[in-house]
Amino acid sequence: MWEAIKHRETGQIRSNSFANRFKSRRILSLQLSNRKDFVSPHRGSVNSLQVDLTEGRYLLSGASDGSAAVFDVQRATEYEASGLIAKHKCIFTVDKQHENGHKYAITSAIWYPIDTGLFVTGSYDHYVKVWDTNTSQAVVDFKMPGKVYRTAMSSLAMSHTLIAAGTEDVQVRLCDIASGAFSHTLSGHRDGVMSVEWSTSSEWILYTGGCDGAIRFWDIRRAGCFRVLDQSLTQLGVRPPILKQKAVSIKNFLVQVSAAKSSLGGQNRLKTLQSKNTGSQIVKGSSSAKASVEKSRQKRLHPGMLSTLDRATAHYGVVTGLKATNNGMYLLSAGSDSRIRLWDIESGRNTLLNFETGRIQTNKAIQLDTSDDPALVFVPCMKTVKACDMWSGRATLMLRGHFESVNSCCFNSSDQELYTSGADRQILVWSPGGSVEGEMMQDEVAEDKDNWSD
Amino acid sequence: MKRKTNPESSASGAKKRRREEEDEEVGCSHAGIEDETISEDQCRLLQDDLTFSDTSVALRMMRAQLPRIDQASVPPFILQSQLYSSVNDRTQVDRELECLRREKVVRVFKLNTGQDDHAIIFLDDYLKQVDRIVKRMEEKKQNDLDIFKWFKEHVLDSKLEPSIGHHELFSLLSLGGKVKDAHITLLINAGLLTRQLVDPDMYWFTIPSIGKLWKGLLQGRNELLSMLKRKRHKEMFLAELEKKRLRYSPLDMRFHIRDLIGSGHLKTVQTTSGLIVRISRD
Repeated sequence: MWEAIKHRETGQIRSNSFANRFKSRRILSLQLSNRKDFVSPHRGSVNSLQVDLTEGRYLLSGASDGSAAVFDVQRATEYEASGLIAKHKCIFTVDKQHENGHKYAITSAIWYPIDTGLFVTGSYDHYVKVWDTNTSQAVVDFKMPGKVYRTAMSSLAMSHTLIAAGTEDVQVRLCDIASGAFSHTLSGHRDGVMSVEWSTSSEWILYTGGCDGAIRFWDIRRAGCFRVLDQSLTQLGVRPPILKQKAVSIKNFLVQVSAAKSSLGGQNRLKTLQSKNTGSQIVKGSSSAKASVEKSRQKRLHPGMLSTLDRATAHYGVVTGLKATNNGMYLLSAGSDSRIRLWDIESGRNTLLNFETGRIQTNKAIQLDTSDDPALVFVPCMKTVKACDMWSGRATLMLRGHFESVNSCCFNSSDQELYTSGADRQILVWSPGGSVEGEMMQDEVAEDKDNWSD
Repeated sequence: MKRKTNPESSASGAKKRRREEEDEEVGCSHAGIEDETISEDQCRLLQDDLTFSDTSVALRMMRAQLPRIDQASVPPFILQSQLYSSVNDRTQVDRELECLRREKVVRVFKLNTGQDDHAIIFLDDYLKQVDRIVKRMEEKKQNDLDIFKWFKEHVLDSKLEPSIGHHELFSLLSLGGKVKDAHITLLINAGLLTRQLVDPDMYWFTIPSIGKLWKGLLQGRNELLSMLKRKRHKEMFLAELEKKRLRYSPLDMRFHIRDLIGSGHLKTVQTTSGLIVRISRD
C-alpha cells in the first residue's frame, strides 16, 4: 500500500488508477458486514431499494406491507457491542396508518433525482404518489389503470420531470409532477409492462420491458418506439455486416405491412391510441425501407404505430428487470426464462453473453445493479446474490445471507457497499472484508517475518 | 485416426453406432478446423472426462455417443445445456453456436418443456429426416408433396431462427408455388412445424417424432434428481451413477447427467476417489 502511494507520488501510477485499484480490491472482497446493520421496520418483503443520487447518503426502501422507509447510510442511530456494530434505524416511514398511505404493496420507491426533497412510490393499489420528505406528506397522486409494477425518473433530465410508470396495462404512462397530469402514453406492448428504465446517455430515451417478453426503446419526443430488441439478432464480431441485415429487415417490413393490410382491418384500437399521443408526429430519420412501405400500404397506419406489428421478443418469458450501464452503451435485461442478456444499445443487438446465474425469480420484478470498475453485475438469484463479471459472464462472488428469495440489489459506489433486500423482510449490507488498518499493514507484516527474538 | 476412435467407441458401453456416422465424423474432422487435430489427441484422454475445448468438437463427440434407438426415426440431437456442461466458457459456446448456425452447419430448435431448452441437430441429419418423411408420405399415397420441397428450399434456407411468423411462412413458401392452408396442415401433420399456446401467430420448427423422447427427457430428469435427493448426502459417485439405468427414459444416463449439470441442477466435485455428482443448492 505504501509502495502504491509512493508510485502515485512519483507519477508512476495515475491518480485514477490508484483509486480504482483500491476500489476493485474492496469490491472483490465483499462479504456480509459485521459492522453495520439496518433495522428494517417492514412487515412484508422488501421490493425496492435505492440510494439517493445526489449524496449517496439516504437509502429508500419500499415493501409489500405498503410501507416505505428512509435510512441514513453513513450515520448510525445507535451503537451496540461497545461501539463495534452500527445499527441504522429508519429515519421515518410512511405506511398504511398514514392518512394518505398506500393500501397495498409498494413495488417501487425511487428518489427524485435532483434532490432528496421528494420521493415517488408506486403500488399495487393503482396509485403513484409523490411524497415530500421533510413533512412526510403525499403531495401529488396519479391514478393508473392497473397495478403499478415499476416507476422510474431520469437522472439526466434537464428539461422534464417525468415519472415513467409501468403497470399491468399495456400502455406506459409518463406522469408530470409539475403539472400533475399525464403527459405521454406509450403504446406498443402487448401485455403489462414490468420494468422501465431511463437511458443513462439521453434524457429523452426510455427502455421498457414487458410481460410479453419484448424490450422497446422509446424516444419520448416522437410517437411509437424506435426499436424492439430481438434476441435472435446477434452481434457477430464487433459490428455485423450491414448489407446482409438490411436485406432481411426490408423483407420483414414488407411482410409485416402486408399483414397489416389483411389482419388489422377490424381493429379500431390503433385509432384511439393515435388520438392520445401528443406532440407533433414526424418520423425523423426513417430508413428507405419505411418510405417505400408507406407508399405501398392501403390501410393508413400511423408511422409511429408501425412498431406494434413487430413481435420480436427479447426473452422467452417476462422481462423482469432492466439496467442500463453507466456509460450508456449497454443494457442488461433479466427475464423469467432465467437468462440475463447484455444488449448493445447502439445497434440493438444481443451480445450473446451468457451469465452463470442459475435460476432467477420468475413471478416478481427484480432489481439488478452494476459496478463500473471491475465491471460486475449484481444479480439476485433466488436466495443468493451473484456478482458476475460483465464481459465474461462468470460468477465471481456468491453472496449468501438471505433466508428467502432476494428481490433487489443496490450498489453504493462511493462506499463500495452492496445493499440487498428480499422476501425475508431484511435489508442486508455487504461491505468489503478486512479493516483499513489491515490493508495498510499488509506489506509490513510480510517483511517483518524474520524479525523475532525470544 | 479411425484406429483411435474405434476402441473408444467399443469401450464406452457398447453403444450402437452407425457406420456412416463414424465415417462422417472422421471426414468432418479432416475438414480443416485447426483445433481438431490437437484436440483429437486429447479426445482419447478426454473421452471419460467431461469437458472439451471447442464447441464443434463437443458437438461431434456427443452426437457420436448418442445411442441409436430402434425406431431410428429421430435424428441424433444434442441439448444446449449439455454443451454448457462440456465446454468451460458458456459465452464461447453461445457465440460459436451462433456462428455454426449462421454457416448452416447446425439448426437449433426450441423444445416445449417450459424451461429454456434448445436442441441442436446437424443440418444434414435434419434434411435426411425430412426426406425420410417425404418418402413415407409417398408410400401412403399422399398428394401435394411439393410443399416439402418448397419448405426445404425456401424456408429452411433463409429462416435460421427456431420460430417463424405465419405471414412470413406463407410468403416464403409462395416463392415455390401456390400455397393453401391445407399445405401448412400437411407440414404440421408431418411433425415439422408446431404452434405453441403462448403466441397464436407463430410457428415453431420441431424435430419430427420427438414426442416419446421428449417425454422420456422430462421423466428421466425427475427420476435422476429424485434418485439423488433420496440419498443421505444428496450425492453419488459419477462412476456408480453411470452404471444405473433409468426406468422411465429411453435416453442414456450420461445424456441426462450432462443435461442436468449444464442447467445447474447438479454439480460435479473432484475428490480423491473420483468425481462426485451432487445436487446443487442455490
